[in-house]
Amino acid sequence: MTRPAALVLLAWTAAIGCAGYSHTEKAKSQIAFGSEVARKGLWREASFRFEQAIAKEPNNARAHNNLAVALEATGEYARALAEYKRALELDPKDTYIRRNYARFAEFYTSYTRTSGKAASGS
Amino acid sequence: MARNRPVRFLASLLALLLVPFFSATPALAGVSQVRLKLPLKPRLPLRGNERIALAPFLIVADADRARDKRLQNVDLQAEFHRFLKKQIDKKTKLEVIETPPDLKLPTQNLSELGRAAEFWRSVGILTAAEIVVSGSLEFRVEDRSGYKTEEYTSPINGQTYYRQMYVEQTGFVFDIVFLVFDGRTGEKILQDEFKDFRQTGGRRADELQGLFENLFSLENQILNLFVAREREADRYIFSD
Repeated sequence: MTRPAALVLLAWTAAIGCAGYSHTEKAKSQIAFGSEVARKGLWREASFRFEQAIAKEPNNARAHNNLAVALEATGEYARALAEYKRALELDPKDTYIRRNYARFAEFYTSYTRTSGKAASGS
Repeated sequence: MARNRPVRFLASLLALLLVPFFSATPALAGVSQVRLKLPLKPRLPLRGNERIALAPFLIVADADRARDKRLQNVDLQAEFHRFLKKQIDKKTKLEVIETPPDLKLPTQNLSELGRAAEFWRSVGILTAAEIVVSGSLEFRVEDRSGYKTEEYTSPINGQTYYRQMYVEQTGFVFDIVFLVFDGRTGEKILQDEFKDFRQTGGRRADELQGLFENLFSLENQILNLFVAREREADRYIFSD
């Protein structure tokens, strides 16, 4: 390979790498900011940040998990369930995601059971 | 100098290999636990300022339990009514109305009580309440004393043994079935059941104290029938 060709190849590889890295980094910064505001109890803002992270990196299990927690905190339980499921689908072995999902499933089952009863009045 | 070269090369190689390891460690640590207050919608579709009549509840007790002297000291109907009225007054904007003391339930069967629409409509008219609450109450005191296996480490030889210990315990069981009726039509709009079990040390634990332990642990669930409540839960979030 000639020297200019090698340089072009190197630049192209670096550009591709940087583009991917930049997306990951943007998602990471949104997750970091989102989790910071979540710890302060600002769940709407956190939810928005985690959605942004997912838009940048749709297969990020951690972002889906965090979004599920934020949705739970704001009472959007049906959406939270979908996000937990997606997070588990993407990373079925993550202990924290599994634990969150198990606890949520327990709560959600009892919640829907009681809400259903109230609605039907049976 | 030349002899140091392989050593320096190996050190650089080792450093290069360790860089990804150390940079990956914070990623594992980037998890924190958060406490959520999960909003729970009220179970009854209410505006929040309705008039609510507290009718008598059926008291469930079999013959043996009816003879239990400890339960004879507890006026379950009065204690529960007082508790429910106080909680609703304190934590909701509903207006609580007590039904006349001579009001008699038309049946002692819970299913039939749920279907007695005409009776509940008359209670609604009598009290001018939009909602009428009734149901059944069961309170049991159980002697849970018995032998339990306990781990024991000998101070002499340091070995662990298992021994049988007699433990005196009392269990308090509380079971409420709520029936909620529309005061205008007498139709049942909700039925739900709450159960609680508490266990305390000692054979002669106080029954009234046990009853209130049960009631306070069910307080959130009972109030959630009428108003929005919150439930605390812990979850993990990732910070990277």
